[in-house]
Amino acid sequence: MDKKYSVYICTGCGIGDNLDIKQLCEVPEEEGMTVKTHPFLCSKKGVSLIKEDIANGTNAISIAGCSRRVNYDVFQFENCIVDRVPLREQVVWIMSRDKYPMPTDEQKDDDEFIDPPQFAAADYLKMSIIKLQKITIPEPYKTDTFSKKILVIGGGITGISTALDAAKAGYKVTIVEKQDTLGGYAACLRKQIPYQDPYEDLCPPIIADKIKEAEANGSIEIKTGTVIARIAGQPGEFTVTFKKPDEKIEFDVPYPLPDEMKVDENGKEYDVDKLAEIYAEYNKGKKDILTLDPNGELFGAVVLAAGWRPAKLEGEKYNHLGVGSSSDVITNVQFEKIASKGKIVRPSDGKEAKSVVFIQSPEQEDDADFEYAGAITSLVALKQAKYLREDYGDGKAYIFYQHMRTPGLSENFYKNIQNDVGIFLTKGKISSVTANGNGLIVEADNTLLGEKIKVKADMVVLGAGMVPATYDEPVVNLAYRQGPKFRDNEIFDEYADSNFICFPYETQRTGIYAAGGVRRSMNIEESMEDAAGAALKAIQCIESVNRGTSVHPRSGDMTFPDFFFQRCTQCKRCTEECPFGALDDDEKGTPRPNPARCRRCGTCMGACPERIIGFADYSIDSIGSMVKSITVPSPDDYDEPPLRILGLVCENDAIPALDIAALNKLNISPLVRFIPVRCLGSVNTIWIKDALSIGIDGVFLLGCKHGDDYQCHFVKGSELAGIRMKKIGEALTSLALEPERVTQFEIAIDEYNKLPDIINSFVEEIEEIGENPFKGF
Amino acid sequence: MSDKYFIEPDINFINEVKKLGGDSLKKCFQCATCSVACPIAPDNKPFPRKEMIAASWGLKDRLISNADIWLCHQCGDCSTLCPRGAKPGDVLGAIRSYAISEYATPKSFAKMVNDPGKLPLLLIIPAIIFIVIGMITGQFSFSPGAGEIVQAKIFTPLLVQIIFPILTLIVIASFGMGLKRFLNDIHQNAINSGLTDKRLDIGGVISGLFKILPTILKHDKFSECSENKDRMTAHLLVFYSFIGLLIVTAIFFIVLDFFHIPGPYSQSNPVKWLANISGVALIMGSIMMIKNRLGKTDQTTSYKDWYLLYLVFGLGFTGMLTEIARLIGLSGTCYISYFIHLILVFNLIVFLPYSKMAHFVYRTLAMAHAEYIKR
Repeated sequence: MDKKYSVYICTGCGIGDNLDIKQLCEVPEEEGMTVKTHPFLCSKKGVSLIKEDIANGTNAISIAGCSRRVNYDVFQFENCIVDRVPLREQVVWIMSRDKYPMPTDEQKDDDEFIDPPQFAAADYLKMSIIKLQKITIPEPYKTDTFSKKILVIGGGITGISTALDAAKAGYKVTIVEKQDTLGGYAACLRKQIPYQDPYEDLCPPIIADKIKEAEANGSIEIKTGTVIARIAGQPGEFTVTFKKPDEKIEFDVPYPLPDEMKVDENGKEYDVDKLAEIYAEYNKGKKDILTLDPNGELFGAVVLAAGWRPAKLEGEKYNHLGVGSSSDVITNVQFEKIASKGKIVRPSDGKEAKSVVFIQSPEQEDDADFEYAGAITSLVALKQAKYLREDYGDGKAYIFYQHMRTPGLSENFYKNIQNDVGIFLTKGKISSVTANGNGLIVEADNTLLGEKIKVKADMVVLGAGMVPATYDEPVVNLAYRQGPKFRDNEIFDEYADSNFICFPYETQRTGIYAAGGVRRSMNIEESMEDAAGAALKAIQCIESVNRGTSVHPRSGDMTFPDFFFQRCTQCKRCTEECPFGALDDDEKGTPRPNPARCRRCGTCMGACPERIIGFADYSIDSIGSMVKSITVPSPDDYDEPPLRILGLVCENDAIPALDIAALNKLNISPLVRFIPVRCLGSVNTIWIKDALSIGIDGVFLLGCKHGDDYQCHFVKGSELAGIRMKKIGEALTSLALEPERVTQFEIAIDEYNKLPDIINSFVEEIEEIGENPFKGF
Repeated sequence: MSDKYFIEPDINFINEVKKLGGDSLKKCFQCATCSVACPIAPDNKPFPRKEMIAASWGLKDRLISNADIWLCHQCGDCSTLCPRGAKPGDVLGAIRSYAISEYATPKSFAKMVNDPGKLPLLLIIPAIIFIVIGMITGQFSFSPGAGEIVQAKIFTPLLVQIIFPILTLIVIASFGMGLKRFLNDIHQNAINSGLTDKRLDIGGVISGLFKILPTILKHDKFSECSENKDRMTAHLLVFYSFIGLLIVTAIFFIVLDFFHIPGPYSQSNPVKWLANISGVALIMGSIMMIKNRLGKTDQTTSYKDWYLLYLVFGLGFTGMLTEIARLIGLSGTCYISYFIHLILVFNLIVFLPYSKMAHFVYRTLAMAHAEYIKR
């Protein structure tokens, strides 16, 4: 495109008071660009100033004023490249004039004098100008084929609710259920935990009505006795192959080779051809993932509502609870089965069970509940205790718990159950369950009753948890090069989730959303609410793909990674490192992008050693040029040139934290220049090399936390950056540069108050190391 | 069961306590705010948190033999601060009611005293006893005749001395048995819960009793409460008026039996002063208590509370009415009121072990025992 540049400097919010605007205007003027200033640029008058120029052909605009996180709706101009220069947040607010006084006339005339805020402002303007020159307006990506249909995997309460919600919103839905009937576990209950006001009493099950509703809905197709053989393609055009459970077909999804099969007996990795051969043998009879099933059905998005199975309580660690030794020690699911058939009776002899102990925690060492338990297991114990009381007026139900979790309005239910004269609750650690004639004796320690207690029981019920279906098998069977299942879900105990708090329903596969028990242990009411959320997510995905934009978290982003394949070395790094499995390499190893699967984090761009991947507005060249446009004062010009530090800052959490620090007027060293990046995963090491080669003395990466409680929007960004940083450290040593010059910091979005210390300490550290020996070369 | 760790919830007990004014007991979720709030609970194993869980688990044996329920003065601080509205103060009150009935012998009496339907019976029985014994001994007369009004004309002091000392002895004997059981039980309970390893020594308990006398006389425990401070004045009035009237009655009969000087005394007699002051205090105190109860809608008040309150008020009122009617010459009013007064006295003394009035014995004993084991 032909670009016509214009730079606007806002002098409001203290910018004009603290900076020499005239001097600043010289920066773009030297580049031959027009510069305009305005005391209140975000006002109607200010914006119309810009609009007038746009009408006269301006299409590449740099707005120097506030952070791009504010007034983004004001400074939005169609068919224009807009860049924002945060003079307010990254210059005047963090470089206090108390600390760096306005230069005197004498200082102004002194060539050796550097006014740090003024210097920084000029740098940021230069970076913006070069960025405008390097980026282009993105064009949307359209899939070849497109479907708006939603596939729902699982015909339990979650799946049915998802289908009904999506159908109500005007979308066609197909439900796939492995069993021969719909309903899942919800169809096996005597009663439900209260789901309506006043949330006190047990409610009749609702599943039967929901099944009828789904069966009667013309927009919902139901396939029972069916499972997913494979899901190929990308959001908007998923090609799905169905099959009967246990059937073997050619479109069953191939599995990637396990690590141990990739190496020979000496532990050496086989070459590409050999690996392809082993892979073909390993997946014999199955079509490759890139072969689309001509008879496959097309779907726009998938909701995974495969639910859960009861946890199996086996093994030595449950011996003290009588598991295995008494048939009257059962799980909550087994108890529900008895209750749904009639009165509560003992499994051993079919006699009335009038004294039942409900155990919520098996642990002897700590206070953990059964694995995969949660609020739901507490609520189920309360519910089942009530069954007993419904059946027998003289029945006694004991609940021994370490945690009694009754969130939200279910507190009303808890209160109501507590009020029942025949239900006895106490915190306590179970020390043993032993036989006593026909019955059992439960012994508990450390109870609210103050000491060891023993009670007689006809039956003991253990609060087993809900194991997600994805624990046992991939279920979704994705025809993705990274494999058929969600990756790295071990940290979520195999629950299908990607970032529980920030992005509910999202999995690590774009276009596939999880709801209900497969996402976390939850009750029917919560599952239905979850279903609505996942249905909306699926719709959001379909509509975003239809517009050719990214779904989330960069909703509306129209860019997508562009590959310059001529230079691809088939190293597969991008395919392997993509957190979302967006790339499927072919048999040669050339990546085949699936832009609709992509979340635009740029991890591939950061990974590519050949630097052939880029986005329209974010590329190796655009950021690299920004780095190189930073003025590094050299010993030739100054007796004591100030150091220069580069900060590559993740725009998801770290930039907001920086903005909040600025808002709080926290002082940050003026030696630092910040450049926002999409994710630390997108940081290509070439940028660091560029920085060091022009004499920048230190570089730091500022991003999200990683590890078990990671906060990375793109799951693996900071983790990958960490690995790359380690490698670059080695490279620096070989160049006789101190590896400490490059480092990575983690920060949470609310830790803005820690930022100045983190950054300023790093600057001090670099000052101690001294200047970059390459300075001035 | 011999194993002290074995517990068997008693659902009937829970239902009984609920009926006796502890209907909120199951609401407790064991946060222990009550034990922290209580101004008089000891630091070691404070009440009423542990009593609340024992109550909601229906652990009857643990509760009625627990001296702590008697250390509580039901000031209400805990009930006010309870986040769940479980009203620990009321629950402990209900458990005390239950304990009184449980230790009383015979239990049928206890049932009768606590049953509103049996109230007429409680009033008729003494009337019949009085009349029957009075007729047999000739010490009771339906026609006192005219002239100076003297209560002795219808109900001779001899008859009073025949009936009441005997009754008192019977009451003491039956109450004593219950109290012995009570003392053994609370001591065993204290041993079981690790509060003491001493052997039960009656002498020790008695010396404990002497040590706590000043506390009782000054109502020190009452004054530690913040919620129901106003109750202290009323209780003090009633408490001291009973002591005053006990002294007056004792003097009256000693003087009558040994110096043969009959009543009624002149208004200038210091004994009469004490009698009058005590009588007024009794009426005032009981009215204050009734007013207090009526004003407290958040506190549960059961029949046994009302029975005792109106009994105390009735005693004061009929006593005073008898005297005033005598002084102004209303003979009928005087005699009838005197007869009713005696019926109420009978109620007070004979039903002592079964009514709420027994609290003064149990609480005193529990406090003495607590002093003995250094609770």
